[in-house]
Amino acid sequence: MSSLFKYDKDREAASAAKVRALEALLIKKGVLGSDSVDAVLRHFETVAGPFNGARIVARAWVDAEYKARLLEDTPKAIAELQFPGMTGAEGEHMKAVANSATVHNLIICTLCLCYPWPVLGLPPYWYKDPVFRSRGVREPCAVLREFGVTIPEGKEVKVWDSSAQIRWFVIPERPAHSEHLNEEQLAALVTPEAMMGVALVPSPPPCLRHPNVYSIRRICRDADVRATRFATA
Amino acid sequence: MRLQHYLGGLENLGPVNFFEKKVFMAEWEKRIFGIHTVMMAESVHLDKSLPKYPLSEVPTTFKDTWTWASLRIGAENMQPFEYFKYRYYEKWLMGISQFFIDRGYVTAKELATLTEHYRAHPDSPLPEQPNPALKEQVVRYLHHGDSGLRAPADLVRFAVGDTVYVTDPEAADHTRLPAFLRNKKGTVTEVYPGAFEYFVSTGPDGLDGLQHVYCVSFLASDIWGPDKSEPNTVIYADLFEAYLKPAHSM
Repeated sequence: MSSLFKYDKDREAASAAKVRALEALLIKKGVLGSDSVDAVLRHFETVAGPFNGARIVARAWVDAEYKARLLEDTPKAIAELQFPGMTGAEGEHMKAVANSATVHNLIICTLCLCYPWPVLGLPPYWYKDPVFRSRGVREPCAVLREFGVTIPEGKEVKVWDSSAQIRWFVIPERPAHSEHLNEEQLAALVTPEAMMGVALVPSPPPCLRHPNVYSIRRICRDADVRATRFATA
Repeated sequence: MRLQHYLGGLENLGPVNFFEKKVFMAEWEKRIFGIHTVMMAESVHLDKSLPKYPLSEVPTTFKDTWTWASLRIGAENMQPFEYFKYRYYEKWLMGISQFFIDRGYVTAKELATLTEHYRAHPDSPLPEQPNPALKEQVVRYLHHGDSGLRAPADLVRFAVGDTVYVTDPEAADHTRLPAFLRNKKGTVTEVYPGAFEYFVSTGPDGLDGLQHVYCVSFLASDIWGPDKSEPNTVIYADLFEAYLKPAHSM
């Protein structure tokens, strides 16, 4: 299946020309404005994205009462943070589930690609991979092992298949040695994969465990990494 | 059975391509994603959805309903080997282009001719024709979504803790039932407040009008068999009421 991700140049050029022709025709015929598609893409760079989920997770880590409210009524608890667009497209009904010492959660959409846009943005390609969607419900632990996550024996694994209106996301476990980090620094550790349940949040490296050296520069660098992922270049 | 409905549980597929973390594999994919999302934002059904959008005031020549269901009907009706052959957004491009041709917005010839033009001149610009009011509607849609939540239609059929079985309806053009759950036994873990109206009727599949939606848990061993599943694993799915029947009916 992985060979499906590789195409010759010509195939891409054909699709690129076709989509450009389609957009041009739809603009000419009044179905789209020339600024419509860009407005969509800007939304996923500025309003909806994993930067929201990371901040929600960090808040849950530093505030146990907030975490309880988040699990009890996810939209209401998210609304407390006053991020824009949190009940928007593909986030009309979101629910958080929490990893713990006894439970590991994994989100999946075996039918298509349901995903909580406001808090996680758009899904990475591997999430669309039919192989993940097939195996994730049949052998989640084996898949997680391939992702580098070993589930200890006896830990319960919960797989959440988004097949109706609810869009799930995972509150990962707070890593060890992160006691000194503030909320913003914690948010910088949280990846989209951790909020989908296929990665754990690693402890900060020893040199960064003290708040004075865990600088804003590092957070900016992580934000760059996320922005790069949205880009294709 | 339709293979697209049965993805969950297929075996012998090899490793997941986890290293592909990009959202888009090529720049052009962003454009088809954007076109699809604008279509959802100007779909005629939105004047009846939650929230009720002032769609009649949006200046657009688009006069059709376009939702996730439209895209899925196309994908689920593909020849299954074709479905696996193409990359995700390639299927979107094929389905959406065909939709605009079928509905008479563009002709196949116009599209082919202009495609040849952009093939020869990839950097030639798009027409400059901004539509600020449509852009506003797109932003509004992205911020407020399109919920199927409605007031409850009637009594809730199942309660938390109930044992239920999943139905085995005819394989239709479109379903929200992951097929690996057909005929399996589960337990209701949550009854979502209110009732939901799905984008379209799925005919013999069973989604039509207002329905309650339940979160149902399934033991992996009940789905795949005790010797063929991993231990301590529970699968949760959100299921429309039409897909459930009471345990005593078995």
